[in-house]
Amino acid sequence: MEIQLTLNGERTTVEAGTEQDLATVLRQHGHIDVKCGCDGGTCGASKVFVDDEVRMACGMAATEAEGSDVRTVASLGTQDDLHPVQQAFVDNFAVQCGFCIPGMIVEATALLSENPDPTEREVREALEDNVCRCTGYQKPVEAVLDAAGRMREEGVAADGGRSVGAPSRGARSVGCCGGDCDE
Amino acid sequence: MSDDETVEADGGTASQPEGVGEERVEEHPLEWDEPANNDLSPGERDSVSQRAEKYDDRKLVTGQAKYTADYEERYPDLAYAAVVRSEIPHGRVTDIDTSAAEAMDGVAAVLTPDSDAVPDAKYTSAGQSYPEPSPWDMHVLNEHVRYVGDPVAAVAAEDAETARAAADAVDVSYEAYDYVTDPEAAFDADAPQLFGEDEVENEIVGHDYDRNRMASIEGELGDPESALDGDDVHVHETEWETIRQSHANVEKHTSLAYCNEDDRHVLVTSTQVPNHTRRQLAHLFDIPIRDIRVKKPRVGGGFGGKQAMVVEPIPLALSLEIDRPVLYEATREEEFYAMRSRHPMKVRAKTAVTDDGDIAAIDIYALSNTGAYGSHGMTVAGNVGSKPLPLYSKVPNVHFEADIVHTNTPQTGAMRGYGAPQGTLALEGHLDEVARDLDLDPVEFRQRHYMEVGDLDEIAGMMGGEGAERRIRSCGLDECIERGKAAIGWDDVEQPEEDHLHRGVGMALSAQGTGVAGDELGAAQLMMNEDGSFHLQVGGVDIGTGADTAFLQIAAEVLGCDEEQIVVRSSDTDVTPFDYGAYASSTTYISGMAVKKAAEDARERILEWGAKLLDEPVADLDTGDGTVYSEETGDSVTLEDIGYEAAYGDEEREHILGKGTHCTEESPPPFAAQFVDVTVNEETGEFDVHKLVVAVDCGVAINPGMAEGQVEGANHMSYELAVSEGITLDEAGRAEVSDFDEYHLPSATETPPIESILVETHEPTGPFGAKSVAEVPTNTVPPALSNAVRDAVGVRIREMPITAEKIRAKLDEREH
Repeated sequence: MEIQLTLNGERTTVEAGTEQDLATVLRQHGHIDVKCGCDGGTCGASKVFVDDEVRMACGMAATEAEGSDVRTVASLGTQDDLHPVQQAFVDNFAVQCGFCIPGMIVEATALLSENPDPTEREVREALEDNVCRCTGYQKPVEAVLDAAGRMREEGVAADGGRSVGAPSRGARSVGCCGGDCDE
Repeated sequence: MSDDETVEADGGTASQPEGVGEERVEEHPLEWDEPANNDLSPGERDSVSQRAEKYDDRKLVTGQAKYTADYEERYPDLAYAAVVRSEIPHGRVTDIDTSAAEAMDGVAAVLTPDSDAVPDAKYTSAGQSYPEPSPWDMHVLNEHVRYVGDPVAAVAAEDAETARAAADAVDVSYEAYDYVTDPEAAFDADAPQLFGEDEVENEIVGHDYDRNRMASIEGELGDPESALDGDDVHVHETEWETIRQSHANVEKHTSLAYCNEDDRHVLVTSTQVPNHTRRQLAHLFDIPIRDIRVKKPRVGGGFGGKQAMVVEPIPLALSLEIDRPVLYEATREEEFYAMRSRHPMKVRAKTAVTDDGDIAAIDIYALSNTGAYGSHGMTVAGNVGSKPLPLYSKVPNVHFEADIVHTNTPQTGAMRGYGAPQGTLALEGHLDEVARDLDLDPVEFRQRHYMEVGDLDEIAGMMGGEGAERRIRSCGLDECIERGKAAIGWDDVEQPEEDHLHRGVGMALSAQGTGVAGDELGAAQLMMNEDGSFHLQVGGVDIGTGADTAFLQIAAEVLGCDEEQIVVRSSDTDVTPFDYGAYASSTTYISGMAVKKAAEDARERILEWGAKLLDEPVADLDTGDGTVYSEETGDSVTLEDIGYEAAYGDEEREHILGKGTHCTEESPPPFAAQFVDVTVNEETGEFDVHKLVVAVDCGVAINPGMAEGQVEGANHMSYELAVSEGITLDEAGRAEVSDFDEYHLPSATETPPIESILVETHEPTGPFGAKSVAEVPTNTVPPALSNAVRDAVGVRIREMPITAEKIRAKLDEREH
């Protein structure tokens, strides 16, 4: 069946089976930034915003997204112009294999929009259901606290809005696209 | 391999070890002939030691980096695989009815052990060097099934859901055999036997399949038996037990196979060992190595679980059958019951200690449960002794022995730490207890015996061949302890006001290796482009650790340019030079040294061109800031000019290429000191770990930010090993865990803050002084937490995990 939704700001129609979960459908439409680490809502990698609420896309039926505003991590920033939360993850070495990171960044961004000045405990509680095997959560937690500080300082909207006049680091001109650049 | 050959505990085969003697000492001189550029002081380093941005981070934080599953959109005719797995722990498949599955819409193929596309050769899934130090005891699809999860049939279909449904529709009939899941019971003469005659090739030393033993290893130094029998010593003995830990990599095992336009078989796969996988597939499928291409995209965690050819043969067999690309992604449930896990072990530690507090002898015995198959069985068990025991190199008499037995339980394999966590728990818990029994300070007791610079570590080699022993040229244990104690507040523990709460601190030391002594190879090549930029092709495998970035920093340091001027391509067997893969803490040390050599080789040519263009002798020139410059005259020429001149200049024009290969007998140990601060409730046994502090001597940290990340992640994994149940099994060996909720990884709120301390030393055999960092902090939390609980409330937990129930039971026991 056809599902109408707004996907990262664009009105889109996607084809989905009645049994299919939203993560699978988004991935079939090229949104590889939605990662699947489990088979239904236990790892947090597939977190997206659905009408501004954080949902695990692998744990919800695609049909449920009919008429919704769906935003993935790709809506937050680009490689040339990272969202402050993304930038903080880079600057704090909070990313290792990176597989869980899109979901973690979505969750962290949601936290900061509700609570711009969280305690470490509150950050940890927000990331409670984001499974990360690489980092021990130490640097991701530091990154979120760092991002909170930067965003308060720069007056950045946590909902993915750009920092107005804030300095933006240009993307590094690393040429390799991560192992897929030969064909 | 026959019985009378010795197998190196770290892998590889070797002849019988020679006796310890003066001759060997001379083979490992303390002085190391180090090139001048390797020993730069921190102030002289431009790229190394900097917290350079991880090169793929921008793609990772925006979700644009491609892992194996993300390749599916490139293949419109992609088919999806699912596997039918044994539902019984032991037996023989008598019939497979595939008719219902084949009749389903969208099913492209159903393979059984009899299918032409399915190889019937025996192999091991362990991704190790050749000859493989693991027995060939597996088949791609099995008639004789040995655990709940053994692959029996495979399906390809138009989509993953249909493939799964078709796999469920395959009807398998079995003749059930008796089974055994307990490793001690597996030894019994009347226990069910997992392997019959002729069911194994490449048997390993000490095998006795009549008793379900796949290997037995032993090593000795001095005369431990006499020392343990002495009249003037206290003999202590304790036994320890570890869990079946899952790698729980968030990216599941995923592999995509297709035949390309050149009739060559391409595997895009989430692996730590592309070159070993290529060789293993060539063996299995009888395809020339040259016709197999293994490409590693971004990998979502490996931790040893992907140091194995776990899933690749399935999509390859299916793609051969249906002549279409096939993707196989394990389910999360399969990750827990049919992929790999850490070997659960019982380890016994025994020491003889004199009245003066000198350790006269240490004896360690490990019983390792390798599960249904023997992958990494012998080598992991060897490391139970050969990694932690060298910490106490001053102990004169040492004995180590291990038996590795089969049970009808899920497969084990390599996992971060690789046997060292099991051995470190036993040794560091035991020594702590001995010190307390003898009223000695546990830290000073360790310091009296532990390793120092200049020591010849013979223990590491006592079970291996020549070259496994090593001279210690860098050791930061003292500083690790000093800084760790300060960070945890060792001498300043304040007791809670409540009477039933007791606070304690515990510590443990650890040593690992850096690569496998005498059994490693890394290679790299560097091409200069005409604009002065470079392409670095390196066989070393970045599985999320940041290795590619470390390679870039090493190359940039040598070339005197910015890392952004270098494109790195790692791990594609068609494009990148040979490498043994990402394991044994070898990547920065071995592959990184290959990168350094390749960069130096290119730099020599660059300096030649600089000399020509500047009309000055090479000896006066250096590289830096993207130029070749003369100290004498101050003149310089840019790398860009050199690139264009070399490519388009005079008749002697050339493509500037550098190549580097590194293999070595060396395997310098990194060291760690772990500290844990815990409060225990004496009424309930509940405990609260306030903080984990781990100080690591990793030599020079190529990128301190990434190194800290490795330490913290490893320590989290170690914490899990101490407090989580791991993969629990029912009576039939069936995994009781099917998803992340059931497999209890400590979450962000359940993980204590982790403070990582990098203690920098200089390891002269490593690139710019580096040794390894990512495994050693995996070993230390179980003993340190056990020691801390002992410190707090006086009871000792030896069987992991450490739980409130166990502590309370011990407290109750003490009171009665």
